[in-house]
Amino acid sequence: MLLTEEQILALAPDESSKKSGKELANPAKWVSKGANETALWGECQGSGSKPYQAQIDLSNIAFKCSCPSRKFPCKHGLGLFLLYARQPKTFTSAEPPGWVKEWLDKRSAKEETKIEKKDKPVDAAAQAKRQQAREQKVSDGMEELLLWIKDIIRNGILNLPEKKDEFWGNLAKRMIDAQAPGLAVMVGELRNINFYKEGWQTKFIDPLTKIYLLIYAYKNIASLDENLQADIKSMIGFTQSQDELKTKDGIKDDWFVLAKQVAQEDQLAVERNWLYGINTKQYALVLQFYAGNQLPAITLTPGVLIHAELVFFPAAVPLRALIKEEFNIKAISNIEGMKNWNEVVEQEVKYNQLNPLINNYPFIVEQLKPVQFNNEWWLQDKEKNLMKISEDFPNIWKLVSISGGDSLSLAVVGKENNYLPLGAWQNGVYKLL
Amino acid sequence: MEFWNNIVNTALLGTDKRQVSSNELPAEIAEVYEQLATNETLDKEEKFLQITSVAFNYRQCGSTLFLKEDFIFQKAPAETKAYCNAKALQVLSDILQEQSYSLLEFWLQHCYKQQQIVLPEMIPTLFGIAANKKNLSIIISQCCGERGLWLSGFNPEWNFYTLENDDDAWQNGTAEQRKKVIKKLHQADPAKAREWLQQTWSSENANAKAELMKQLATSVTEDDVAWLESLQEEKSQKIKDVVLTLLKQIPASSIVTSYRGIVEKSITLKKEKAFLGMINKTALHIQLPGIHENIFKTGIEKLSNTKEFTDEEFVIFQLMQFNPPENYETHFNSSPEQVISYFQKEKATQKFLGAIVDSIVTFKNNKWATAFMQHSDEFYSGIISVLTEDQQDRYSLNFFDKEPDNIIRLAKERESEWSVELTKEIFKHTAKQMYQYNRAFYNECINLTPATIVGELETCTPQEDHFKNAWSNMSEYIGKLISLKSQTIQAFQSSN
Repeated sequence: MLLTEEQILALAPDESSKKSGKELANPAKWVSKGANETALWGECQGSGSKPYQAQIDLSNIAFKCSCPSRKFPCKHGLGLFLLYARQPKTFTSAEPPGWVKEWLDKRSAKEETKIEKKDKPVDAAAQAKRQQAREQKVSDGMEELLLWIKDIIRNGILNLPEKKDEFWGNLAKRMIDAQAPGLAVMVGELRNINFYKEGWQTKFIDPLTKIYLLIYAYKNIASLDENLQADIKSMIGFTQSQDELKTKDGIKDDWFVLAKQVAQEDQLAVERNWLYGINTKQYALVLQFYAGNQLPAITLTPGVLIHAELVFFPAAVPLRALIKEEFNIKAISNIEGMKNWNEVVEQEVKYNQLNPLINNYPFIVEQLKPVQFNNEWWLQDKEKNLMKISEDFPNIWKLVSISGGDSLSLAVVGKENNYLPLGAWQNGVYKLL
Repeated sequence: MEFWNNIVNTALLGTDKRQVSSNELPAEIAEVYEQLATNETLDKEEKFLQITSVAFNYRQCGSTLFLKEDFIFQKAPAETKAYCNAKALQVLSDILQEQSYSLLEFWLQHCYKQQQIVLPEMIPTLFGIAANKKNLSIIISQCCGERGLWLSGFNPEWNFYTLENDDDAWQNGTAEQRKKVIKKLHQADPAKAREWLQQTWSSENANAKAELMKQLATSVTEDDVAWLESLQEEKSQKIKDVVLTLLKQIPASSIVTSYRGIVEKSITLKKEKAFLGMINKTALHIQLPGIHENIFKTGIEKLSNTKEFTDEEFVIFQLMQFNPPENYETHFNSSPEQVISYFQKEKATQKFLGAIVDSIVTFKNNKWATAFMQHSDEFYSGIISVLTEDQQDRYSLNFFDKEPDNIIRLAKERESEWSVELTKEIFKHTAKQMYQYNRAFYNECINLTPATIVGELETCTPQEDHFKNAWSNMSEYIGKLISLKSQTIQAFQSSN
């Protein structure tokens, strides 16, 4: 089994599922259980008369259970997976029963149908008209936004901490009306800045400048490189058809899942999966959005290596990607990263030349040592250069304790002079932070 | 970053009040600034925004690394103990998930006994618990090895390790740490504890002195008498009170000796004629002789606070509380059982048995506690602490029906596991009192609950239908806790 207990628990939708899953990781709770190379299955005696049938597709981690729970994966799926991680020998290795076979067959059939699905014919003229109308709306909205920014600059930002919610909220709503949801989010982020924390001024000027640059870039979009145009449009909120994107050729590689960051934005869970291609040395960000009880389309497990084909959204610095096809989980091999901070900074400069508006970049950096200097935590490379650890990083003590003053290879995400650790390799084992 | 500060300052004041000038910018940006300055199609706000945009990218592309060559960061020393096995760590993780601090303590005790330590990534979680649960801080620090000691140096809230070195903790520790040190030392080496106290005595304030003296309560001996008696001259009443309390616990102290003298004069055994002079009987006579007023300066109250006792009886009762029970054996030339029976004979003397029980507890006399256990129909909760574990079980079972809640309260204070029989009685009672004895109760008592009770939980099911379902759920919870307890034992056995 390639997944560790920690990785399995990372799949749980909440703390109570983790707890219940652990309770079910007990052979006594299972009437039957089996496993082969592609799947795990088991029957768990619940409160109903018939046992619940839980099954897990191992080639492309997916769960199914006959229990009525709305959680995904449910406690039975987690319990079965945990039990297998702890006691694989207690699972029989016979042919899967009918109900498992049926599900696996359906899954592979579905995959095939997806690939075969063809786009409906589109009315190009109507589409162009809609596009033109939207561009006009966006331009009008941007004019208002520019006026608002100029007002702020003229009067000074000193009094911004006293501004009421409406000051920010009205403009964010206006950007939604202007069909520029990306700008609405950026304005919303200005509102969320902690104006009572030291250094808020730069934290405000940076994103304000980015909004201005975005407005200016959109005005001159025709003169920009095609990929940068895609970046600008994407940041404003123009969407790209994912089905169309999937028809393009992607990059096949062994992708190491560095981390999964889930944040709640309004009513929506935003899942950021950071991946690293072992052979191509390409980083990828796979985003998923889902509400309450919805299930994420794919389940990526941090610390796992998957062989998959990823299609990148067009961008000056391709980072956001879609998983076009996921083949199987692979044994983890050695992962090489950057040798020092100097390499990171040089790479960043290259990225900034192509697109100065990206918020964060992921990097794997070798031989970093968490150190305390001037009451702050830094990551020191072997050349003795220090880089500050983001003050938002919640697990600093775990990182320091794992390190014990020794160097570790770390996966980090950040920019300029501030980085947030995602995970660390210790004795070849990847530990999530 | 001076140039960026200039931009921030301009933004703060607004372009109406301040403009960025080219001499405030690095040469590369100043060049762009000059071009912008001459562009008449742009207003001053847009000029500022454009120069800020350039400066922003200039800043993010030109971040210079912070080289600190002379900086040495101390590494954690190598571990001398072995890490516990994966199974033990798994159980620990389950216990933490369950938030059962009793089980955590149980797990840590096993880990410490095996001279093993936890993996480094677990340390911050355990330290977080130790910072809130002071009673676990020492055992947690003992299971976190050298890495824990090293890590604790970075966080002032994790200063549990100073306790490891008694001398250092005594000299520089917090009031709580010093109290713990002196208590521990007095139990192991009373002479050294006295020496330490005497060395710093003049520099302590009255409150600290009193608090430190209180720590000696469980370990004072005859050797402490001379020093304690010398402290009766202290100015602070608080200190005097604590010293007096301690002296009252030592049979050889002059105060206990003086109490003994009065008690023996007050209680005498006399032969009397009964049934018209046909038979002789022995009976206790209790009467207070004339006593010196000074005795009332030792905490003895003159006036009774209960109707049951006259003022004189009340004085005798108080003195008896501090008269070592073995003194009655010599005074009456009788065994403890006989002495108890003398007091039990008459209603007027029965009320003094409570004072003897108090003295049994004060002087920790098991022989007398056993005698009471065997020859009294009354339940005296105090003597439980003086009985052996086996005796405690028997005594508790004998009186469980009469005093269930009192016995459960005392059972919770025990340090070793309850017998299965006692556990069954306790659970039969608690199963019917779900609000008073909820999950927290079973969680707290899990260290005292024997694993073999699992098979007996069904027999504790209450007769009443409305309790049955709740008990079934509770049984499952108890089963889970016991399973974690058993897994802990197995995990550490397998590492042997």
